[in-house]
Amino acid sequence: MATMDGRITLVQESRFQLTDEAGVSHLFTLSPWCAAEPAQLRPLAHSQAPVRVTYKAGVDVIGQVAQRIDVQAEAGR
Amino acid sequence: MNEPFVGAPEIAASLKPFAIYDGTTYYGRQQLKPWPFEANVVGGYIFLAGLSGSSQILATVAAATGRRELDGAVRRGRYLSLLAPTIGSALLVYDLHTPKRFYNMLRVAKATSPMSIGTWFLMGFSAFAVASAAGRAGADRWPRQRWMKSLSTAAGVPAALAGSGLCTYTAALLSATSTPIWASAPATLAIRFGSSSIATGAAALALGETDPAARAKLDDVQLCALAVEAVLSAVTKGHHKRAGVEGAYDSLPGRIEQVGATALGVLAPLGLLAATRAMGRRPRAASVAAGILTLLGSATLRSSMLSLGNVSARRPDVSLQFSTPGNLPEVRG
Amino acid sequence: MNDHPRISDFSGSDLDRMIPDESRFTAGVLIEPGKSYGFFTDTTVCIGCKACEVACKEWNNLPADHIGLTGQSFDNTGELSANTWRHVAFVEKSGCGGVRDNSEAPYQSGWLMLSDVCKHCHNAPCLEACPTGAIFRTEFDTVVVQQDICNGCGYCVPACPFGVVAVSENDGKAHKCTLCYDRLKGGLEPACSKACPTDSIQFGELSDLQARAAVRVEQLHGQGVGSAYLYGTPGAPGATGGLEHLNAFFLLTDRPEVYNFPVAPTRASNRVAPSLLSGLLTVAALATAASFILSSRDR
Repeated sequence: MATMDGRITLVQESRFQLTDEAGVSHLFTLSPWCAAEPAQLRPLAHSQAPVRVTYKAGVDVIGQVAQRIDVQAEAGR
Repeated sequence: MNEPFVGAPEIAASLKPFAIYDGTTYYGRQQLKPWPFEANVVGGYIFLAGLSGSSQILATVAAATGRRELDGAVRRGRYLSLLAPTIGSALLVYDLHTPKRFYNMLRVAKATSPMSIGTWFLMGFSAFAVASAAGRAGADRWPRQRWMKSLSTAAGVPAALAGSGLCTYTAALLSATSTPIWASAPATLAIRFGSSSIATGAAALALGETDPAARAKLDDVQLCALAVEAVLSAVTKGHHKRAGVEGAYDSLPGRIEQVGATALGVLAPLGLLAATRAMGRRPRAASVAAGILTLLGSATLRSSMLSLGNVSARRPDVSLQFSTPGNLPEVRG
Repeated sequence: MNDHPRISDFSGSDLDRMIPDESRFTAGVLIEPGKSYGFFTDTTVCIGCKACEVACKEWNNLPADHIGLTGQSFDNTGELSANTWRHVAFVEKSGCGGVRDNSEAPYQSGWLMLSDVCKHCHNAPCLEACPTGAIFRTEFDTVVVQQDICNGCGYCVPACPFGVVAVSENDGKAHKCTLCYDRLKGGLEPACSKACPTDSIQFGELSDLQARAAVRVEQLHGQGVGSAYLYGTPGAPGATGGLEHLNAFFLLTDRPEVYNFPVAPTRASNRVAPSLLSGLLTVAALATAASFILSSRDR
C-alpha cells in the first residue's frame, strides 16, 4: 500500500487533511479497519506531529482511505 | 389507491392538492436510499433466527407433552437452536460496515428500534439455548445425572419465549423502515415470517425423524404453518396492491419471491403434505421432499423479500406513490 | 475566553480570537443550548449557485464524490450522500420541448431550484432506528451521528423517509448533515446558511423561522404566487405520519414530488408494535396448535 508523510492540518470527525512535505494538502478518511480512532486525530493536529499515513484510494471520492497512521520521529531538527 | 382523500380535516386541507400522485419524479432518481446490506447474508441470518427460534419452541412444546416418541425431536430441537447464536451472530457481525464495533449494539436498549429489540432477543435466546443444549448433551452423555435433563427442560422455556421473539422480530425490523414494500404490510409480513419460521422448525425436525408417528405429527405442524403462510402471502400481496407499491414485483427479486418462495417454497410442500395426509399413506420420501422445499423456500423468502424491498426503495414512482396521503395510517385506519 | 477549537486551524486570521456569538451579526440569532434551531429554505430566491454545497464540503472536510456529469440540468451533485450534505436540485419547467419560452411567470416558476438538506425531523426515524445510540438529539434540537459510536449497521438508511442518511463505503459509518454541530457550539451559524448569498437558506430559532416563513407565504400570495406553500411545518406536507414538524423546512411553489420530496412521509417506529405483536400472536397460536398435534394419540 502507498504511504504519505506529512502533518495533519484539519480534522472533522473521521476525516482529516494531511499536508505533505511539498505543502500540498490531501483529504483522508479513516478506514473501518484502521486502529486509530477519530478522537486521536485532533491531538495529532494540535501537536503538529509528523505522521506517516498508509492508505488506499477511496471509492467514488477524490480522497484516500487511511489504513494506518504512524507517528514519526522529528527528522533534521 | 388514487381514491378520493378522506382524513383528519386540518391535515387534509394542506395535503388535499397532492392527494393523487401524478407520476412526477425528479429525473427518475431514487427518492429513498436502499438499506446497504448483502441480502443473502442478512437473509441467511433471518432464516437461521427463524429456524433456531422455532426449533426451540417446538422442542419445548414436544418436551411438555412428555411423549416418548418425541424425545429425538426434542434433542434435535435443542441442538438446532444453536444455529442463531453461532452462525447467525457471525453473519450479523460480518454485515456491519465497521465490524470491530459490533459490541456497541449492547450500549442501549430501545423500544423504537427493532434492531435493538432483536439484539436483546438474540442475547437472551443465546444464553438459554446454550444452557438447554448443554444440559441435553450432558444428560445424553451421563444419563444418571437427572438434573441435567431438568436443566435442559427448564432453560428451554425462557429460550422458547425469547425464540418466539427471535423468529418474528425480523419482520418488524423490515416494516419499521420507510422502504415501501416492507412498510406497507407490517402486520401481514410479521404473520408470514412467523408462520414460515414455525414451518422450517417443523421441517428440520421432521427431516431427521426416523419414528413414523413422530414424523407424521411434525409434518402436520408443518402443514398447519404452511397453510397460514399460503394465505398470508396472498394477503400481503393484496396490501402491496392497495398501497400502490406492487410495481416493485416487476423485477428479478419479485419473480424469485413469487416463484421460488411462494409457489415452490410454500404451495408445493403444502400440496405434497396435504395429499399424503389425505391418502393416509405417509412415505418418508414425501416428507423429506416437502421439508427440503419448505427450508429452501423460507430462506428464499427472506433474501428475496430483502432485495424486493430495496428494489421498491430505488424506484421513485413506487416510493412517491407509497408516501401519498391516502397511505397515512390516520387515513387508512 | 471560550474559543472554538477550530480557531487554531486558521492561524492566518487578523483577529486574535473568535468574535463571540458571531451568529448575532450573521444571522441575527443568539445560539443557546436548550432552544430549537433549524433551517428555513425559501426556494423562490434560490439562484442555484451551490455556495451552500461548497461551504458545507469546505467546513466539514468532505471529499468530492460521484465525479462526472449527470446530464440532468445543472444538477451534477445528484443526491445527498455520505459525503454530500447539501444538494441543490434543478428543475427546468419551461422550454422543455426544445422551444424557448418568451415570457415567464415571476419567482422562478420556469426554473425551480432547491437546496436540499437533512430535515432534522422532530421525531427522527433515523434516531429512533439507531440500535447503538450513535444518532442522538443535541442540545440545539438537531440530529447528529456520533462517529465514535456508529458501527455501520446501516439501519438508519432505510429508516429515513427522505433518503438523506447514507453509509460511506470508505469509512463504514453513517453520515449526514450535523447542522454544523461544532459551529453551533462555537456560536457560529451553519456554513451553508452563512454562505448563501440570497438568504434562500435562513438559519435561526425554529419558532422565529416558522413565523417568518408564514409571513413570506402571505407576501408571495399577495404578489400573485398563489402556488407558494410550506413543506415541513406542523400540519403541512412533509410533517405527516407522526413526524410532527421538520427543523429544516422549505417554501415550495410546485408539488413536493417535483423536488423529490414525499408528500406524506411517516414515522417508521409507529410500525414496530403492530408488526411485533402480530408476529408474536402468530407464533403463540401455531405453538398452541403444535401442542395439540404433538400430544395427540397415535393414529
